[in-house]
Amino acid sequence: MRQFLPLLFLPLTLHAQNPIIHNQFCADPTARVFNGKVYLYPSHDINPPKPLPEGVREDWFCMEDYHVFSSENLTDWKDHGVIINQKDVPWGNPGAYSMWAPDCVERNGKYYFYFPDAPKDGHGFTIGVAIADKPEGPFTPVKTNIQGVGGIDPCVLLASDGNAYLFWGPGRCAKLKDNMIEIEDDTPVETIKFGEREFQMSGVNCLKDLPSRQAEGPFAFEYNGNFYLTYPYVRENTEVLGYAMSKHPMGPYEYKGLIMKEHANGCWTNHHSIVNFKGQWYLFYHQNDYSPNDDKRRSVRIEKLYFNPDGTIKEVTPTLRGVGIVDALSKIEVDRYSSASSDVKIEFLDEEDKFQGWSARLEKKGSYLTFNDVDFSKFENGYVTANVKADKNTSFIIRDKNAKGKIIAQFKVVCITEGQFKRDYSGQWLTVTAPVNYLPKNITDLYISTEEGGLNIDNIQFKNSEKYFSKPSSTFLQPDNDGFIKRWHILEPINMDLFTNAIFTDSYLDSVFCNSNYTKLFATQPSDNQKVKYNNQNLVWHKTDSERFNVKLFRFSEMYSKKYYGVLYSAVTVINCDEDIENVRLAVGSNSASCWWLNDEKILLMQGDRRMVKDDCVSKSVTLKKGRNVLRGAVINGPGMSDFCVRFIDKNLNPVRNIRIE
Amino acid sequence: MAKKFVSTILTVFSAGVLCAQTGQPYIHDPSTLAECDGKYYTFGTGSGGLISEDGGWTWKGGAERPGGGAAPDVVKIKDRYLVAYSATGGGLGGGHYGRILTMWNKTLDPKSPDFKYSKPIEVAMSDGMEDCDAIDAGLLYIPEQNRLWVSYGTYFGNIRMVELDPETGKRLEGYEPIDIAIDCEATDLLYRDGWFYLLGTHGTCCDGVNSTYNIVVGRSKDVKGPYLDNVNRDMKQGGGKMVVATGDRAVGAGHFGRFVVDEGIEVMSCHWEADFNQGGRSVLAILPLTWKNGWPKAGEKIKPGVYEIQSERRGYALEIATDFVRIPQDRQAWWKIDPKQKVDTLKFQQLSDVEKNWKKGDIEVRLSDFMFRPNQNWKIEAVTDKGGYLGNPYFKITIEGTDRALTAAENFEVKATEKYSGLDTQLWRIEQTIDGNYRIMPKRLAGENSDNTKFVLYSIGDSTPILKEWDYNTDNSKWNIVKHDK
Repeated sequence: MRQFLPLLFLPLTLHAQNPIIHNQFCADPTARVFNGKVYLYPSHDINPPKPLPEGVREDWFCMEDYHVFSSENLTDWKDHGVIINQKDVPWGNPGAYSMWAPDCVERNGKYYFYFPDAPKDGHGFTIGVAIADKPEGPFTPVKTNIQGVGGIDPCVLLASDGNAYLFWGPGRCAKLKDNMIEIEDDTPVETIKFGEREFQMSGVNCLKDLPSRQAEGPFAFEYNGNFYLTYPYVRENTEVLGYAMSKHPMGPYEYKGLIMKEHANGCWTNHHSIVNFKGQWYLFYHQNDYSPNDDKRRSVRIEKLYFNPDGTIKEVTPTLRGVGIVDALSKIEVDRYSSASSDVKIEFLDEEDKFQGWSARLEKKGSYLTFNDVDFSKFENGYVTANVKADKNTSFIIRDKNAKGKIIAQFKVVCITEGQFKRDYSGQWLTVTAPVNYLPKNITDLYISTEEGGLNIDNIQFKNSEKYFSKPSSTFLQPDNDGFIKRWHILEPINMDLFTNAIFTDSYLDSVFCNSNYTKLFATQPSDNQKVKYNNQNLVWHKTDSERFNVKLFRFSEMYSKKYYGVLYSAVTVINCDEDIENVRLAVGSNSASCWWLNDEKILLMQGDRRMVKDDCVSKSVTLKKGRNVLRGAVINGPGMSDFCVRFIDKNLNPVRNIRIE
Repeated sequence: MAKKFVSTILTVFSAGVLCAQTGQPYIHDPSTLAECDGKYYTFGTGSGGLISEDGGWTWKGGAERPGGGAAPDVVKIKDRYLVAYSATGGGLGGGHYGRILTMWNKTLDPKSPDFKYSKPIEVAMSDGMEDCDAIDAGLLYIPEQNRLWVSYGTYFGNIRMVELDPETGKRLEGYEPIDIAIDCEATDLLYRDGWFYLLGTHGTCCDGVNSTYNIVVGRSKDVKGPYLDNVNRDMKQGGGKMVVATGDRAVGAGHFGRFVVDEGIEVMSCHWEADFNQGGRSVLAILPLTWKNGWPKAGEKIKPGVYEIQSERRGYALEIATDFVRIPQDRQAWWKIDPKQKVDTLKFQQLSDVEKNWKKGDIEVRLSDFMFRPNQNWKIEAVTDKGGYLGNPYFKITIEGTDRALTAAENFEVKATEKYSGLDTQLWRIEQTIDGNYRIMPKRLAGENSDNTKFVLYSIGDSTPILKEWDYNTDNSKWNIVKHDK
């Protein structure tokens, strides 16, 4: 059964702000850069199995395996699945659930994964190694643990002196042999007194005389000629991340201060790693985001980390936003905001399934949040959607950069409608949309504020509009492979005040299509942008190419901000033929009823409530004469998405394509 | 030259009273029928739905489904029921931001202690601007493959499809919606013999007796399409072959659902926008589903009337075993006939001509040449107070003009009793097979305590009917119900 586990955990792409892994707990993150990608080796918190295995505590850490994750951009994380389970460790206790904080380094093309575990015989923890040819495995555990090393939280420093140094908790260090699985034979041994008992401990205690109460999880690295030993310890009641510096990997180290304060929410542990990726330093750490009432189930977060000119580290403030540039076309989880007004709260979407994530509650008019680093380079033209929940109708605004920035979009949240189609969506999640009024450039920050009463926002997403029409080229256009004519002059819709499609009888259509007032519109060949007047309505002809076989009149109206239900559309095209083409028929589909004229002769009337169907109605045989032929149509529609498709077919039912559209 | 008398077979039945379901079958967009602990359920637009406790003939309200919205669907997956619906969207006051939601229940019976819907999960959505309105879910589950899909959408742009996880009811991770049609409503997917079928509703909805709603179909070897109709037109170009539009005194078929009763016996559910027999209201319809050349089509429900019951095996007619009585006829040598001589219309043999010589008590039944004889004229009548099965009530089958009733007898025999006494062995379910024949099944076998769902009228010999297990793969199991001119 167990060998199938990796298959069950097929690589998943997970979007990330903080926390970065969204479908499981994970803690003690060690991040390493291999082959241009960041690989994350965390420990894997789980809820204790039920019934509780022997020796496992309900309220304690519980970890039975390791996953590895990778990312090319720190926002999209791929889960490569389980690399080691506690049952795979030859020397380990297969039921101890003690797979604590690991590390992984690459040397001479091999990947060495270091991990603590409870040994089969004996108490406490020791450290073992597993080896792979690739960072995501498969890893093969070494038969024995690292002899002479007792403790947890291994970290291996590959120093510029060519040596590999193993650090482990609380803060001991020993040099590794070239085989990476043993410590040097000349590693010093220290006798430690613990109450009445005495212990033999290998290596050097690098935290000697430093603030180090309950220290654990050492992470050592080298930068600009300095060695940094960073580690969680208890300053007052819970852990902080502190660090010390030295000119030598094994010290002596001098304490320098904090990297991160105690967690504000009381999460007792913190554990971290520091990595440089593409020139920027990052701090990986954890907090119990998905398990607010149980700080033994934790989640990994990332922040940027900066150095002072003297090599000391600037203290890092935890954020929800985390790191990474977020594509405007992806779901932007604004509940992971960069900053917010003091009233803004985050709320779980589903208290019973916290991995569903959060929404941000903006309580009142003027509440705001900001979300940094959104990349608009792929957004061309379109709209923005938001998932929101409100108790009353309200509105909110997205601005560029800050409170005074240009308005990108203005949303109305209508959760209660009155009148004929009365609806009440108060307190329910809704997707609302708004046109984008101002298109930000490249990477920018977003500022979202409420204009009326409060609401919850889960996410927003910018979307490019689909393309339905394009500007005609100056050359002739041939029908497409199926013979569909895609270039038309289309008149802005005439308002008909229709509320149903049920009235499109033959005689009604005749009265609309054949009255002289209407036919007058076609007395002269229309040109692009030509203005006309019909029954006191000012209308404009537009020459356009349909991107599709069907001309989406609904979207045409939308493009020119015109009415799209209860309207009459008019379309004209000019077909050029090199010679007479006899015995062809016009084949049309239209939504809804329509009428078609070739060279001013009515050749097809399509009555009734119709959906657009290819070759729905076909005319009697007609002749396309040599030279110019004017084809015009009128499409009338009540409710529904109006469109039409038009082609000529020959007597063998093949499409006519040897024509050119002006 | 064969002297065979070619009878006129009427395929158009006279208007009957049994076209729609009985009870209070008022519903719009009924979900695919689902069976749970011997009862049948369907959910409709709005909230709630219908229950049938008599096998599928009488329907009344009482099914419970929270969430409201348009055109839900339900499918049984292993030992649970998955319901898909959408609370928002649908245009009008709802905008076009639709969400397809799924939720589970262990039972559909609101009175069961296990009746509890799980929290709905969103599996697909439309943002209100795009060419889709994510409502009108249609579920397809293929047990053999343990795979699950949902189609959705309306006239507002495209019909889309996503694959779901049959264990959780969630969308498969990373599965992006696929456009499979345009401009339909209330779609449904079905799978048969390696083909996927997409059924959609075209025409005008919600206009009472003027509604032109009709169900069309396209098919594809790949669930992702393209779904082509019978003239190879893609449903993404509006294609579709009609499955059903109108029924007996009812118009506006919408929201297809398929239910497989048995091998070779299928029904489809839909609603009629307006049943002329029920005040023009929108009602549940359950029709036989037939298959011809790989295309589904609504079949013909059996209706009350007088019929020949003809075996598909040999073509002989079911009759009670009485004397063959010759019909007297003045005959002339054919070579002496004056072709200008006026001819008379001859009468068929009348019951009164022969009945007095029929014996009292039970009479055996057998199969023989159909000769328009009184012992071959079976009157099929609905029995409206004994329940029924999906689509119809039970029928009693008697010799026209008599009370002699076709009855399931001991040892899997059939006979005609002298009197009809309302026994379950005298009640018959008559269902159209997918190839257009009928199967004829007694409600109960003689001496049994529970209803029969296996044994059917069966030609064991060309001339001999018995009761034997239903087997779609033999014509012995199948019958034609033929209406003749009097």
